[in-house]
Amino acid sequence: MDAALELRGLQKSYGDVQALGGVDLTVPSGSFFGLLGPNGAGKTTLIGILVGLVRKTGGEARVFGHDVETDYREARDRIGLAPQEFNVDRFFPIREVLEHKAGYHGIPTDRARDRADEVLKRVGIYDKRDTRFDWLSGGMKRRFVLARALITDPDLLILDEPTAGVDVQLRHELWETIVDLNQQGTTVLLTTHYIEEAERLCDEVAILDSGRVLDVASPEELMRRGTDDVVVELRTEPTAVPDFAALDDRVESVDLNGARLVVTARQGGLVAPEVVRRLDDTGHEIVDLEIQRTSLEEVFVEMTRAGEGRATPEVASQ
Amino acid sequence: MSSETADKSASPAGSDTTGFYALFRREVLRFVRRPRNTFVPPFITNVLYFSVFGVILGERINEIAGVPYILFILPGLVVLGAISNAFENTSFTIFHGRWNRYIEEVLTSPLSYRTMVGAYVLAAALRGLIVGVLIALIGAFFTAVGVVRPLYLMAFGIVITLLFAALGVAGGLWADDFDDLTMLNQFILRPLVFFGGVFYSLNELPATVQQVSLLNPMIYMVNGVRFGFLGVSEVDPNASLAVLSGLTVLVVAIDISLFRRGYGLSE
Repeated sequence: MDAALELRGLQKSYGDVQALGGVDLTVPSGSFFGLLGPNGAGKTTLIGILVGLVRKTGGEARVFGHDVETDYREARDRIGLAPQEFNVDRFFPIREVLEHKAGYHGIPTDRARDRADEVLKRVGIYDKRDTRFDWLSGGMKRRFVLARALITDPDLLILDEPTAGVDVQLRHELWETIVDLNQQGTTVLLTTHYIEEAERLCDEVAILDSGRVLDVASPEELMRRGTDDVVVELRTEPTAVPDFAALDDRVESVDLNGARLVVTARQGGLVAPEVVRRLDDTGHEIVDLEIQRTSLEEVFVEMTRAGEGRATPEVASQ
Repeated sequence: MSSETADKSASPAGSDTTGFYALFRREVLRFVRRPRNTFVPPFITNVLYFSVFGVILGERINEIAGVPYILFILPGLVVLGAISNAFENTSFTIFHGRWNRYIEEVLTSPLSYRTMVGAYVLAAALRGLIVGVLIALIGAFFTAVGVVRPLYLMAFGIVITLLFAALGVAGGLWADDFDDLTMLNQFILRPLVFFGGVFYSLNELPATVQQVSLLNPMIYMVNGVRFGFLGVSEVDPNASLAVLSGLTVLVVAIDISLFRRGYGLSE
């Protein structure tokens, strides 16, 4: 089966400002894929190219094998987009807005009404079906743009900051719906500022910064590249501790502060037993042990910090 | 992919008819459900036109081209109302959609650019035709209105509303602000119509001004519709119809090209 999304050397420039500088990326069909990057990284620009709201200036973008420019109709028919900024028809009640959107995708009127009701129930705002978008609360608006993305039963669901500004409970409800869709085979492409969401949900993430892909890997793999802290509380303040760095090349630093010893290492979980054994062998009594694992967020910050100083054009962040 | 996909037509190419109907319907519902913004203003304006120019002033003016003044101005008022509304419908719906970004619901869909433009233009032309008929009915309340050449009237009515609906698409794409729409309507469209022979006959103008007036495309539209109602025209109706039809095709083709290029629509 074709990849859900295939980008080759994708470029976008606004005059002299380069928003995307040759992005190569493959999103496997059926995956839950995260696109992470700081503001201005080019995430929204990239999504805009896929749905025809931004014109690429170079490279290729294919959705399930369909070029987004030459086969734009086929490509767009496979995509459901829940954008970050609200862009909903204000003239009609939300059920009719959904019916119209379904119609644009070739779903006949009578079936479109049924589909609209189904997706409104699915996101929990069926009671508001005759209300216009402007009269919905913030959380309901978020639910509605998800419903609109689902009305056409997309194969690729693109969620651009879908939980921005929503409360914790709603966020969980939205994720349940989205995870359910993914398990049924819908490919999900997610951008989010809540990196713990990406860590928990995504099969793979791409780190985008200044219009370039810095890395693509599973959250676990990325986290393995970060460092964990093995924090040991000793009964008494030691005068010296073993040279852990010399014993294991995964250890990056050792910090002793009173009776508190912090060993910073890659794959801290694997290093910890050796630390305990060595301390035990050298007569130190351990009263507490904690492994503080690196988070995807820390890895993300570390990776994108390396890109600081490069141009981060504002124009790419809209 | 779930079974729901079966609800869609077999391919995006096949779904364009359903998509066209959906967009056309959306556009028609938008103006039908807001009569205070769409049908009431031309109704009131034309009642005033017929009362003041047709009855109060018209009774003091001699016949023009062999017909009473109120009958002479009726075709022009029909043209003015029809093309203004056709133009306003597309220019507003596209500009407002851009302004509030909801046009993205259409742009991100699998509709072809031709279908998008077709639905916008035909819905707006329909509004123009409805307003044109409304104005003729108002005229019929003030005087006996006949239609001498119904086929010509229909042909001109359809062509001029299509033409201005298509021009409205370009206007809606070009405008950066609501002021730009006002400027198009008040400073360009309205003067052209008023100097297009709505209220006077070309024969009453000095020869030089007559020649200059022939550069105004409104002359051909007003005279074409007048030919339909009254059977009299100061310019050849067949030539007018041919030129206006060609112009309409050209402007629609430009609209499609603008959509394809993303002019005013994509970054």
